[in-house]
Amino acid sequence: MTRLSRRGALKTLGAAAAAPLALRNVRPPSREALRRDGLDPATLAAIAEVVLPSEADRAGAVSAFNSWITNYREGADTDHGYGNTRIRATGPSPARTYPAQIEQLEAAARARGASTFPAAPLAVRRAIIEQAIADAKVERLPARPTGAHIATDLMGHYFASPGAQNLCYRAAIDRDACRGLPGSEKAPARR
Amino acid sequence: MTHESDICIIGGGISAAMLAQKLAELKPGLAITVVEAGTKIFDVENRAKYRQRSLDYGENAWPGDFIDDQAGAGIISRTMAVGGSALHWGGVTNRFSAEDLTLKSRYGLAVDWPLSWEDLERHYCEAERRLGVSGEPGPLPEDRRSEPYPMDPMPLSYNLTVLKTWAEKSGIPFQGTPQAKNTRPYDGRSQCLRCNTCEICPTGARYSPDFTFKQLLEAKKIALHDQTLVRRLVASPDRKRIESAQAVSRAQNGDTVEYRAKTFVLASGYAWSPHLLLLSGIGNRSGLVGRYMTGHAFIGGQIELDATLYPGMNEQHSLISRKFFRCATDAPFVRHDLRVWESSAGRDPRLKDGAGKLLLGDALLTDWRDRTVRGAARVRAYYDVHPAAESALTLDSSKKNRWGDPLPSIRHVLDEPTKARADATKQHIRGVFDLLAKANNGRVLNVSEGTYLDHPAGGCRMGTDPAASVCDSHGRTHDHENLFVVGSPTLPTGGCTNATLTFVALTLRSAPAVAGTL
Repeated sequence: MTRLSRRGALKTLGAAAAAPLALRNVRPPSREALRRDGLDPATLAAIAEVVLPSEADRAGAVSAFNSWITNYREGADTDHGYGNTRIRATGPSPARTYPAQIEQLEAAARARGASTFPAAPLAVRRAIIEQAIADAKVERLPARPTGAHIATDLMGHYFASPGAQNLCYRAAIDRDACRGLPGSEKAPARR
Repeated sequence: MTHESDICIIGGGISAAMLAQKLAELKPGLAITVVEAGTKIFDVENRAKYRQRSLDYGENAWPGDFIDDQAGAGIISRTMAVGGSALHWGGVTNRFSAEDLTLKSRYGLAVDWPLSWEDLERHYCEAERRLGVSGEPGPLPEDRRSEPYPMDPMPLSYNLTVLKTWAEKSGIPFQGTPQAKNTRPYDGRSQCLRCNTCEICPTGARYSPDFTFKQLLEAKKIALHDQTLVRRLVASPDRKRIESAQAVSRAQNGDTVEYRAKTFVLASGYAWSPHLLLLSGIGNRSGLVGRYMTGHAFIGGQIELDATLYPGMNEQHSLISRKFFRCATDAPFVRHDLRVWESSAGRDPRLKDGAGKLLLGDALLTDWRDRTVRGAARVRAYYDVHPAAESALTLDSSKKNRWGDPLPSIRHVLDEPTKARADATKQHIRGVFDLLAKANNGRVLNVSEGTYLDHPAGGCRMGTDPAASVCDSHGRTHDHENLFVVGSPTLPTGGCTNATLTFVALTLRSAPAVAGTL
C-alpha cells in the first residue's frame, strides 16, 4: 500500500465533507500556524498514548516535540563531518508533511465512527497509527524527525532523548547534561 | 594594502597558536602577524546555544567554520577558521613512540626522523603543559616520561572501569587516554563538566586554539588577520629568501593584501601548506613538496560483552593500550594502538523486532530493555602505514576557487612493504579484537576498515638531505633561509596513534630556530 498522496488526502477529505458539521470541527494546522504554535497538543497526546511507553512523561515528550518543531530552522548549516566531509544544510521542516498526515488520521478516525482522532478509543487509534506507519513504509526509528510520519517522528524524537535512555536503563545517566566529574566512577543512580 | 612584521605566520590552527605563543615569550616585542583564511569564532558565550542546536538539530556547532570554495579531494575536514581542526578535536593527546622516529634503522622501513626521541620527548612535555593535558603514567616502562602530566587524569567513568577490567582479562594492559581536558581549572579555563560533547565544549575545559589567540590578542602580542587567504609566496630574485605573501581579503571583497616579513612560517596543515608552496613554485627544488602524504590507517569494531553498562556517561573518554606500539625487530612488522570506548551499538531502540513486528509504546521499551542487558564496547586500532613518494597532493586544475587558483587533490599511496604486509596486519588486529571479546564471554559484532588515513600529515617532510626532504628538523625549508613549515606537513611518517600532540611538539621545537632568524 502506498502512502496517501495529497490528492488522495483531499479526496478523503471530500468524502468526509458529507459528515455532520459537528464531526468536522477539527482542522489540521496551516504551515504558518505550525511554525508559530506547533501542533495541537491534544492530537499529539492522542498519538503519544499509542506510541510512547506508559512509563514515559508523555506530556513532556509532546511538549518537547512541539518545541522542536517550532524551533526548526530550514537551510541551517549542518555538521560537515570528518573523514568524508560534505557541506550540507537542513532541509524543509519535517512538519510540513504533518498537516496532511493529521488529516489522514482524522479521516480514518471518522471513518471508524469517532468524532475526532483524539476522541477515538485507544485500540482504534492504535490500529489507525499502525496502518499509517505501514502506509508510510517507515522501517526504522528516525534519529531526528524526518517528516515520514508524525507518529514515528514523535517516537524517534522521544526515544533519542536522554530521558528515554534514563527510562530504559532505569538510571540517571543524563547523557546530554553537564554533570561534572565527581561521582562519575560510580554507576548512575537508579531510577 | 601592505602589512609589515617580523614574523608572518600563515594559518591559524593549533600549530600557529602554539608557535605564536612561544615566539612571543622567546622574543618579547616581536611583531607577529597571523593570517588565517577562515573566520574568528570567538563567541564563547554562545557555545552552549550552538551545542544545543547541534544536539537537537544536527546544526554545525561551529557556525561559519568553512569556506565554500576552499576544498579539495582527500581533505578530511572542511574546517577553515581561526583554531582550525582543533576547534572540533576530541582533545586526545597520545604520544608517538621512539619506534616512529627510527623505522629505518630498527626495521629497515620508510625513513628515520631527523631528531632523537629524547629531544622530541622534551617537547612533548612542553606541549602537554601548554595545552593542559590530563593523564596517568602508563603501565609499560617504555612509556616513561621525563615529567609528570600537568593534571591528574580524567577519572574513569563507571563504564570505563568495567571495560578496563574486561579488557585486561585478555592480558593486554590499558590506561585512560590522555586528553587536553581540564581535570581542574587550568590556564584560565574551567574544569571539565562531562558534557559529553567534546567537539563543542561549552565550558572551555577542552583546549582549543581560539583561547590562545584571544590571550595573545588581549596582551597585544600578535596581530590576527582572519578571512584573509594567502595565494602566493614571492621569493627574492636570488630565490634565497621569501619577500612577501600575497593575499586577498575575503572580508573586503577580494582586496589585495601584501605581507612583508623577515621570516615566514607556514602553519596551514597537511593540505594548505604544500598547496601554497606548489601554487607559488616555492621550496620545491627536491620535487618533494606535496609528496609522501601520510597518516594512519584504521580498523574499528563493536564487541558485545557480559557487563551492564550505561552508555552516555562519558562517551568521549576511552582506554588505550600502547602494548602494540612496539614490535620486535625479528617478528613480522605490525604496530598499532588499541582504544576502547563505551558503546550503545546494537542497543538502540528499534521500531520493529527481529521478526519485523511493529513495536509501539511499552512493547518497544520492553524490547529495548531486553537488548541492553548486555553491554557493548567500541574498539579501534590505528595502524602504522608508510607512504610512497607517489602519495601526493597535487594541484587540480579542473577545480578552482573563486580566485582562479587550482585546488588540492590528495591521493594516498602506500609503499610496497606496507602493501605486502597489509593482510597480515589486518589479521593481527582482528585477532586482537577476538581476544578481547573472548576474554569475557563476548562476541565481535562487526569489524570495519577505515576508508581514509586519519590525522593526515606529510607533504613537506623533514630530513637532513635536501634532495630527499623539503625542510630540516626545525621546519626550515632547504631552499629558503627565512621560510619554515611547522606541524603536520613535516612528518615523514604518520605514526599509529592520534598525532596532534606530535604536531604541536614539533612546532614548539621549531620556535627557537624561527626566533633565531631575527
